[in-house]
Amino acid sequence: MPAAGPIPDCASLHPGYAAALGDALGQLRRVVAEIDPSPVFGAEAASLGLGVPAVDAALAGGIALGALHEIAPARPVQFGAAFGFALALATLSVAGSRGGRLALLVQTEFAAREAGVPYGPGVDLLGLPMARLLLLRVPRPLDVLWAFEEALKSRAIAAVLAELPEAGAGADLTATRRLSLAARAGGGIGLLLRHRASPLPAAAMTRWEVAATPGTPDAFGGLGRTAFDLSLRRNRRGRCGRFIVHWDHHECCFLPEALSLGVAETARDRSDDARPLVRAG
Amino acid sequence: MWLRRLATDRMTRGRSSAPAEEAPLVIAEKVKSALRLAAVNDAAASLGLKGGMALADAKAMYPVIAVADADPEADRRLLAAIADWCDRYTPLVGLDPPDGLILDVTGCAHLFGGEAALCRDIVRRLAAQGFRARVAVADTVGGVWAVARHAASSPSPRMRGEVQAGRRFSPSMVRGGPTLPVQDLQDSVVVVPSGVIRDALLALPLAALRIAPETVAGLAQVGLKRIADVIERPRAPLAARFGEDFVRRLDQAMGREDEPIAPRLPIPPYLAERRFADPIALANDVLGTIESLAHELSRLLERRGEGARRLQAALFRTDGKVHRIEVGTSAPLREGARIRGLFAERLTAIGDDCDPGFGFDVVRLCALATEQSDPLQTGLVASDHAAEFAHLVDRFGARFGLRRITRLVPQDTHIPEFAVAAMPAAEDRRRTPDDGYPSSVLRRLSSDQDSLAPVRPIRLFDRPERIEAFAEVPDGPPIRFRWRHVWHAVAQAEGPERIAMEWWRDDRGNALSRDYFRVESKEGLRVWLYREGCCTPEPKQSQWFLHGLFA
Repeated sequence: MPAAGPIPDCASLHPGYAAALGDALGQLRRVVAEIDPSPVFGAEAASLGLGVPAVDAALAGGIALGALHEIAPARPVQFGAAFGFALALATLSVAGSRGGRLALLVQTEFAAREAGVPYGPGVDLLGLPMARLLLLRVPRPLDVLWAFEEALKSRAIAAVLAELPEAGAGADLTATRRLSLAARAGGGIGLLLRHRASPLPAAAMTRWEVAATPGTPDAFGGLGRTAFDLSLRRNRRGRCGRFIVHWDHHECCFLPEALSLGVAETARDRSDDARPLVRAG
Repeated sequence: MWLRRLATDRMTRGRSSAPAEEAPLVIAEKVKSALRLAAVNDAAASLGLKGGMALADAKAMYPVIAVADADPEADRRLLAAIADWCDRYTPLVGLDPPDGLILDVTGCAHLFGGEAALCRDIVRRLAAQGFRARVAVADTVGGVWAVARHAASSPSPRMRGEVQAGRRFSPSMVRGGPTLPVQDLQDSVVVVPSGVIRDALLALPLAALRIAPETVAGLAQVGLKRIADVIERPRAPLAARFGEDFVRRLDQAMGREDEPIAPRLPIPPYLAERRFADPIALANDVLGTIESLAHELSRLLERRGEGARRLQAALFRTDGKVHRIEVGTSAPLREGARIRGLFAERLTAIGDDCDPGFGFDVVRLCALATEQSDPLQTGLVASDHAAEFAHLVDRFGARFGLRRITRLVPQDTHIPEFAVAAMPAAEDRRRTPDDGYPSSVLRRLSSDQDSLAPVRPIRLFDRPERIEAFAEVPDGPPIRFRWRHVWHAVAQAEGPERIAMEWWRDDRGNALSRDYFRVESKEGLRVWLYREGCCTPEPKQSQWFLHGLFA
């Protein structure tokens, strides 16, 4: 028997061993991921699938987590649609995160006067629980960027929405690059919500222009589902495009345009009583 | 502690160049429609001018004296500022308007080399700032008041000699005051050793007892002029003739009756401070000091199992100004590095308002409010972000104020504006919010009005925006509306949803009800409109407003 001593750390045995171990683990994880695409325990998914095949294909899997995304209304009057799309993304990201992560909205006093304040019951009905939304009101546009970066770095926040009412307002290439790095450190998504579209370059992963579009009215002539006309103007991971998607606020998911009403498959958290009993063995 | 020339010192201090020879200065105040002298400076006093004299008389005697108007408010502010500064000696500082401060130095004097040295330090530092002070130490508040004002300051040389004889101690002389004449400093310190307050008071005039001038005059008429004259007399006749107040003041001075000091500022439960021989001015030095003080504080807090909810850093500038910077936290806190971080944010937010001047010579950190903080078991897989969340809220709070970071809490009312309230996130006792608050209104909304679209907007305007709108029928939905100068044609509308003021709030019965419509324009724009006052006797009063935006 060799003398009992402290067990040496395997990685410290040989310098090349650690690298080889990392490679092997990565390879194994990739193999497992192909068999079962659900996220590995302890690691969160790297992107957020929207559930609409056309959009997810363009985005190479979905909206990238740990990255900055820019959202602006196609015309300033359609700010409600842009904010709705941002809230829908925040809803998905909060629902997909573990450990009670929250969404944060940062806005200036001016933005609150100009475009209103988030309304709790409406936010709740759209899908994001009111208790999961934090609001921060700051005095200056520069403070928005500071708070945005701080919140992105924090692991407690799953999605940060920052509103910039002015055209430039300091969110230039350098600032957005900083924000992207902060988002990568924190792992949440950063949504830069402009009140009007800006042609300036930015280091965001994607840039969306959101327009309102008439929804399909229901059988009784009432309003249809919330609909978004999304123009993907810039995309670092794939091609750009234009998509019309619907938001189902009961199930909290996006639906492709073509889908008609009442399709059972879209229900995600329905009771599984109806499933036939399968006995193993 | 008596600032004997507070009012005139305030005037002279404000001047940039002090005259070589002090000019006579008097402060005039209007008393019963006559201008009388409220205060005089030393030079004027040596000419024989006294407070209470008519200004015309003084002018007749000395036409050249300078006169200034009284400003009791400024005097009060100045006294409060000096009280703040005195905080460096003891946390228990009480105001004694108009020109006195009471410091409880119990247990503090040895830190400054004894009571006499403490007094000399106060006099010297105040003199450097341009104040003439007389400082006394005694066992009772009444006694110290009497000794500070009357023991050595009496203008009559005969009386001064007696006082010297009566004292059993001799204050050592201080030489070399920076701005004020030396003889001022010599007589400015009186220390009455413990237990001999009675002997020190015997020779003092009765005015030293803080009693009304009429009482003093009344006592003088019957030949009672000193405290020694009344102290052995039977008390009942004295109380009957000169009032209970007189006997009470006598008892207070002698220590037979307790007299508490009302501290100007709350006394913090935890406190750590550091003094510097050389003042510090760099931001990093100040923050480093705060961090090391925070470590000291956290040891104290840890022993009691507590954490700080509100912290205050007091920065004492060498010229007497005191900056007090407060930060609040959302959860009990005792980590030094995080406390430093919060103060760093606060200092950045304050910016130039916290001017170091020539530097700070005392830095003090106190925990104003504390709360029990039990150690937490952290999980192996960190799934709980509560600590990080609290940290983030604290940082935002330090930078923008804790009231600005809010969380929405539903309220049980139909009125859209009040259906949700923004509460400071730091005050929410739940560290990890659970999904969904109990709210009957929200539950009712989602079940009663089953629609393919949400029935409440995601954005609400603080004040509804006035719009122009046309409806086909008086009670029907609009067909066109103009918002922010643009006309929109309505494609679909859901409504009306009538929301009226709750009857128990509407005491006069004339609040207008609102008919809300969820409207989609031809372009797909979805807004929340309402018509106010459609069921009033005069339908023309009805007006349209836009209240919110849908996705």
